[in-house]
Amino acid sequence: MSLVSAKNNEIVINYGELRALVVDDYPGMRSALKLTLSNFGVTRIDLASNATEVLFKVQNTRYDLILSDFNLGEGQDGQQLLEELRHRHLISLGTVFIMVTAEAGYEKVVATAELAPDDYLIKPFSAELMCSRLENILLRKLTFAKVYGHFENHELEAAIKGCDEILKTRPKYVVDALRFKGEVLNAMGRFEEAEALYRQIIEMRAIPWARLGLARALHNLKREEEAEEILRDILDQSCEMVSAYDLLAEVRLSRKDGPGAQEALQKGVEISAKTVRRQQRLGEVAFDNGDLDTAKQAYNNALEKGRNSVFVTAEDYGHLCRVQVEQGDTNGALETLKRGKHLLQATPEGQFVGAVARSIVHARTGNESEAEKALDEAAQLRQAGARPDDRFMLDFADACMAAGRAEQADAIVRDVARNAHDSESLLAKAKRLYEKSGRGDVGEQLLKDATSTVRNLNNEAVILAHKGNFAAAMEKLREACWEAPHNPRILMNTVWVMLKHMEQSGMDEALMEQARGFLLDAEKQAPGHGRLATLRAQIKDVEARYGIRRR
Amino acid sequence: MNMESMDLYAGLMHELKNNLGLLAMTIDGIPVTGQPEHDHRVDEARLLCQRVIDRLQQALLIYKARHQSITPLVDAYSPRDLAEELRDTANSLARGRLHVDVQFADGVPEIWFFDRNLVEMAMINAIHNALGYAKNLIRIGVSLQEGMLDISVWDDSGGYPQHVLQAFADRQPYRATGTGLGLQFAKLVAEAHEDRGKVGELRLSNQDGGALFSLRLP
Repeated sequence: MSLVSAKNNEIVINYGELRALVVDDYPGMRSALKLTLSNFGVTRIDLASNATEVLFKVQNTRYDLILSDFNLGEGQDGQQLLEELRHRHLISLGTVFIMVTAEAGYEKVVATAELAPDDYLIKPFSAELMCSRLENILLRKLTFAKVYGHFENHELEAAIKGCDEILKTRPKYVVDALRFKGEVLNAMGRFEEAEALYRQIIEMRAIPWARLGLARALHNLKREEEAEEILRDILDQSCEMVSAYDLLAEVRLSRKDGPGAQEALQKGVEISAKTVRRQQRLGEVAFDNGDLDTAKQAYNNALEKGRNSVFVTAEDYGHLCRVQVEQGDTNGALETLKRGKHLLQATPEGQFVGAVARSIVHARTGNESEAEKALDEAAQLRQAGARPDDRFMLDFADACMAAGRAEQADAIVRDVARNAHDSESLLAKAKRLYEKSGRGDVGEQLLKDATSTVRNLNNEAVILAHKGNFAAAMEKLREACWEAPHNPRILMNTVWVMLKHMEQSGMDEALMEQARGFLLDAEKQAPGHGRLATLRAQIKDVEARYGIRRR
Repeated sequence: MNMESMDLYAGLMHELKNNLGLLAMTIDGIPVTGQPEHDHRVDEARLLCQRVIDRLQQALLIYKARHQSITPLVDAYSPRDLAEELRDTANSLARGRLHVDVQFADGVPEIWFFDRNLVEMAMINAIHNALGYAKNLIRIGVSLQEGMLDISVWDDSGGYPQHVLQAFADRQPYRATGTGLGLQFAKLVAEAHEDRGKVGELRLSNQDGGALFSLRLP
């Protein structure tokens, strides 16, 4: 028997078929919730007391319903748990996630989060209320089942069509369909359409999440001033909306307002300190602003709150170590490296971060031979292919310069610049390194040279592609890829041209394999980039056109 | 009383409310035996427990509203789902003692914009009151009135006493307990809803030999 069946034209939900997971740190509440669920026929119920247990359980069992308290004691809260489950695709869009909150107030944080649960219940609530809420969500999920399927299959055009169909035929779900469509449009990089859609919702009512969506679309369209105005207005009215602070920080960074960005992030942290990525971002921004105390605290918090979270990386230990060295606290820095041993030894990237951090500490304490040794180790790891994030590569270059290894430093900066020829903030950071070491002119020339080859090849390819000469454009971009093998923009352009070429001249299996590989590389360099989803969808389209079906 | 001790009381109320919540769930779990004497007493306990919880919740919100106004968290919801939820809640509270029905007028849109939690709390309170006074019937109504969504509870009690209606019309300060607290809360909720200059309102009246409580949302 399936979860939903039809009886005399009426849809019936078979609660006996439903597989549920109840999450609460308090045993009394767990059994009370279990009892409530069993009151209306749910019998297959698992229990978990914290986020870590949930992350383990969902890998073995597919749940139809997760009923989680917001407050889960130490470790991640319910909202972070939800974000991790969705980001890592550990649960499908069809899985119902209901958040339980203890008081009015927290529910605002949950309800206005970017990644909202399907519904939330304020404690205490009756079995009847939970039952009717659950039924309504299941019916909604049923309506959107096809759309979700397309989305999870990367068939974005079809997902949009599905939303349009619901918009036309199911007035009850108009706002839900618009909301999902807006997310798909943003994922596809169709920001103008997203803007129009959110304005359409706001025309009905200025719902906070719609205004946030509008601000995001405007930010993506680089209309930062308008975006900031909307965000400020949202925060005036609903100051609990943490994700508005996150976006405000990004908008202000684009406007080169570092202190403003820091202020926004600090306000966000005040409301919800547990989100690791917010703390990481605050650490980064505060460090660039020269506010070392704030940076230190933020990185410390990220490591503290992020225990057992996938969002904490070896780089976080490296960054904290850097801040401490800058503050003159070399003992603390060494302590940090010890604390992070498990991550700093786990991967080549981690080892690289550890080596660079050690060299910086030793250089500061005057232990030159140890510093040299650590730098050599880092250089070897880099030779072997370790690639930590670009900010850390620049830290490496900085350490090399300080140790008088100008040539090595130049090579690293050249590598970073080639692979990020369009990242203003990274290039500016690189430029500052040279100015600091008194080689400003050398730096400027080097950055210009390093980026111009890639930029020129890319520009030539764009012109060729516009003329419809995709084969020639492809050659130019292949050359650019050879120059800059980790440049996400170049990689994505190459995939795009390859697909255009195949649309024009027919399927080429080998080329398709290459395109797929380039896309994977691009994803590694720029996870979550807006264009990735579109390109993935285009690959599907081309394959479908030539009659290839792949799962 | 200073702020600190007020916060202490708010915290205490909060804790009491949550403990009562657990108690309510426990009572919910006591099976029906079919022996009226037993079942009736369990029922009474359950009802009373739920009523105390709702009161505490409202008192907390009113306390909060004194320091910062209630800001509704508006989203799109289905009025029909809301009405059905209220009916189910009313039925479970009434446990067959009374008949509950829903009157859903033509022309009510499929979705409306409001803060579901606040509206539900206000309406459930009205249902509690109706349960206390109704003879046989409670009717939950949803309709469109002057461009606003009208959600109402009517009972066959014979109507509100004149002094309640008078006090409400005169905007007199309410008693801080019982019906007064619930009405004060519902009024706050209604008036916190606002859209393009239109503000929500609470209306009380006597109609068809019963009391009509209606919440209008722009």
